[in-house]
Amino acid sequence: MPSVHYYCPCLSTSPVPPPPDLESSSYSFHELHTLYFCTEPECMAIRCNRCVSVEVNGYYCPNCLFEVPSASVRAEKNRYGACARNCFQCPSCRNTLVIVASDPPEGSLSASVAAVGITGEPPYFLYCNFCRWDSTEVGITFEKATGLAGQLQKTEETAPDVVEFERLKEHFEPFLRAAPSGGIAHAHSNPITSAASSALSRDISIPGLSKYSALLAGRRGGRNDREKAGTTSKDKEELAEFRSRWETGAGASVAEGEVDWIKHLEDVGEVATIEQRWVGSWTTSMRERDLKPLRIPLHSKKTKRCPQCRHIIIKPEQKSQSVRYKMKLTASNFVPAIAISVPPPVASTKAVDPNAPVTFHAGRTYPFRLAFTNPMYEPTTVTLQVQRAPLLKGRPPFAVSLPSPPFAIAAYAEAWEYEDEDEDMADEDIDALLAGVGSPSGYTQPREVAKPKKPKTVGVLERKANTTVIGGELVIGKEGRGDAKFNLLVTHTYQAEDTAAQEGETEEKSTKTPTSRQAEVKTFSFYIVIDLGVIIPREKEESHRRDSEQMSIS
Amino acid sequence: MNFNQPVIPYNKAEFIETDTGNKVSRRATISGPQNIILGGKTIISSGAIIRGDLRRTGPGHAVVISLGRYCVVGEGCVIRPPYKLYRAGFSYFPMKIENHVHIGAGSVVEAATIGNHVQIGKNCIIGKFVIIKDCARIADNTVLPANTIVPALSLFAGVPGRFVEDLPETTQELVEMQTKQYYQRFQPVESE
Repeated sequence: MPSVHYYCPCLSTSPVPPPPDLESSSYSFHELHTLYFCTEPECMAIRCNRCVSVEVNGYYCPNCLFEVPSASVRAEKNRYGACARNCFQCPSCRNTLVIVASDPPEGSLSASVAAVGITGEPPYFLYCNFCRWDSTEVGITFEKATGLAGQLQKTEETAPDVVEFERLKEHFEPFLRAAPSGGIAHAHSNPITSAASSALSRDISIPGLSKYSALLAGRRGGRNDREKAGTTSKDKEELAEFRSRWETGAGASVAEGEVDWIKHLEDVGEVATIEQRWVGSWTTSMRERDLKPLRIPLHSKKTKRCPQCRHIIIKPEQKSQSVRYKMKLTASNFVPAIAISVPPPVASTKAVDPNAPVTFHAGRTYPFRLAFTNPMYEPTTVTLQVQRAPLLKGRPPFAVSLPSPPFAIAAYAEAWEYEDEDEDMADEDIDALLAGVGSPSGYTQPREVAKPKKPKTVGVLERKANTTVIGGELVIGKEGRGDAKFNLLVTHTYQAEDTAAQEGETEEKSTKTPTSRQAEVKTFSFYIVIDLGVIIPREKEESHRRDSEQMSIS
Repeated sequence: MNFNQPVIPYNKAEFIETDTGNKVSRRATISGPQNIILGGKTIISSGAIIRGDLRRTGPGHAVVISLGRYCVVGEGCVIRPPYKLYRAGFSYFPMKIENHVHIGAGSVVEAATIGNHVQIGKNCIIGKFVIIKDCARIADNTVLPANTIVPALSLFAGVPGRFVEDLPETTQELVEMQTKQYYQRFQPVESE
């Protein structure tokens, strides 16, 4: 499938993307619908999921969909950031567990299990209806069918990892209280991000550990921290050494006991897989039957901000299952959507697998089409400029011809405004598609305006509503090989609706503006990468050439 | 508009088109049609089985399966209402599928509710009483065990199905556009 991806310059310092044949290039390009757009006049830039700064807007349990207040997430009882109600995961397959009663008064056990009946008698236990694991295997049963997390908490409180975590928290509490809320300057930050960032900034000079790594801490901005922290730096140094109550080597003795067990092991299924064990922060038993039910970690709704100006780009509604947003600045609303199609050769009338990669033969010329769809209420003018890839050796494997003069795209209108027209269009379109659109022709001079009778390959092919389709041509050299993939600079210029927020954004956009009335005209440039398909290096060149000659004659 | 995607042709004789634009294959098995609601512009592909006959016991009219607008039930899908043993005994429960829901070919669905703009891949098994919230996506070949809950805007995949990632904020618009285009591209051809 030919594809179009949009460039987000966050990974590099230059606004020009890396050449598409570099492996790293794919990390800088994204699909349009995953991108955001900062509309602040000083930014006016595409942002991606990697560069936006993220804040938690609210927590919820992905199973019971219960919204958990941030305060209780931070509170002691909810130290895992897990659902504190009745939600548990199967330790064996990660399916959600259900609570079932034992020994129902009537019917068989399997029937009660299928019915997920909470009509039976205590004790209750957790059951996985995917892999049939149940919590009686590890001796976990419940008196009541509600408030399971609370009931389980008592047994959890004595677990070594919980105790250790508590002690670590106690140990660092005075330091945390004394430390300023953030080592790094964060203009807009809530307590969670500041806690996270201060935790991050701290780990370069862990209190109590500084005596071991004083040199390191000093070198890595530690001094700066100390200046800011003032008196707290003293506390940092004075923090007592932390001693674990548990021997760090305790795991080894457990493992020794298990050697015997493993020696007599008959079924490998009795050993818990690494995937089943690595969620634990403590050395656990290797036996599968020792696995404990897991808490379900909370999910969060996130607010996203521009990394430069800190303005909000995405702000979801508070309700956990709402898909609406209070603020949503996505690139698809500001940047033309560009779709590409490479018409199949005329000869093939049979159905082509749409997912099969498009292939090109060396030494031939192929037409392709780009459809630009304007999402804005203002008409826009687009200029295209192919980025010349720096040549490493020899001749370029292929050349691309695209119309160089600017072309216009009509404004977007609400669907009802041209619904009727649309349906008519659709019929025409369908006819055209059924007839086999865009018969490739043997044009040799792409920039020439086509004679009226023949369909032209390069230039504006059709205009329909807010979509303009332009044709381009791919000329593949005789030695061509590799991917037919190129970067394209797209500049679009439009009359801005509000003239107030004008200043500033034209400076960094050095690209040409067709009109000089800069006060009303906005220009935005962005790069895309177009992947047309794979070039088949010349094989059976003779026959291909003959084919293409025939085609150009016809 | 139909720029990239070609027409999806179907045999005109095979499908029945209703007043509200639903297109139902004659090769689909629709049991208990009086208990099934199609919202309009919904496509039931050939070989699909929709069990509207599995209704809650008791007298009167009951909606068993309701599908919204712009839905597609893929080829060979089975849509069957979930059942459970209740205090009184065995009973089926109604299934509600909202608008813009695509269900891939070969999937078996016994969900309780499926929200708006949900995409379900091919060959999935959606267990009994599963709840899928708005804009979620289920990857191909996923098995969701009974009672699974899929939060809004999340991608689930695997056996058993697990959360993989959050979907982009534009999912709603994207799916809406795709489902509308799919319906537009789904065009009859005269049988030869």
